[in-house]
Amino acid sequence: MENFNHILLFRTDIKSEEDKQALQPLLDKNKNIEQWNVDLDDEDYVLRIVSYTLKHDQVIEMVQDRGYNCCELT
Amino acid sequence: MRTRDTEKEKLVKKIAVETIAKGGFESFSMNKLAKACGISVATLYIYYKDKDDLLSQLAVEHGKMLAKSMLHNFDAEASFEAGLRQQWENRYRELINNPTLSKFNDQLRASVYQDQFLSTLMEDALVQFKRFNDNIISRGEVREMPFEVYWSVAFAPLYALIKFNNEGQSLGGKPFKMTDEMLWEAFDLVVKGLKK
Repeated sequence: MENFNHILLFRTDIKSEEDKQALQPLLDKNKNIEQWNVDLDDEDYVLRIVSYTLKHDQVIEMVQDRGYNCCELT
Repeated sequence: MRTRDTEKEKLVKKIAVETIAKGGFESFSMNKLAKACGISVATLYIYYKDKDDLLSQLAVEHGKMLAKSMLHNFDAEASFEAGLRQQWENRYRELINNPTLSKFNDQLRASVYQDQFLSTLMEDALVQFKRFNDNIISRGEVREMPFEVYWSVAFAPLYALIKFNNEGQSLGGKPFKMTDEMLWEAFDLVVKGLKK
């Protein structure tokens, strides 16, 4: 059965293209992140990360360090 | 462990189509969609990268679906009258039997997803319709004219009747329910008008 444990989802306040760009270097250069995107079009501004190694807490810490809200989307 | 559930995915698509048919794209949100489906927002984002991904997929799927239903039993080599009759029949059944779908398709046409919707639709259907049109002109059944003129005369009466029917009223709020007799009466007039 296909499982989706490698898709990590977060509710954030990354609301604009500028916010997204501010985080881009951090997320792009992280070798553990296969792919990421933020849904700027929707109210939860969901950050979606594909990673086979990272845990939710690690991403939350990383994003919060840059001054953004970030909590696990359950 | 999260796993993919095709029943849930079907439900998501169904509710998304209904919501957009009713309220358009403006107020549509993943959060509201998840609530309406009784699933978590996270589940939605497992299936779809983002809102745009969901809506793009819906646009492409519906373009394909519409092309399929428009081409049902249609033969590009048929005579003008038989070929046009099948096109009327297909569009009529599709739009009357499925008012939600037809409203959703209208919304798609007016949205940023119109290119994805129309290009998928056309990719499958356009070749057939073009061949039919070339045939009827080369056989001398219909005289040559700008495609838009042909299309307007050939289909606008059908869409006007369907619109009256689906809205339940015609001009000035007069209650209206379309019958097959009315459909084919209008069709005969169109054929008369277009046939050389």
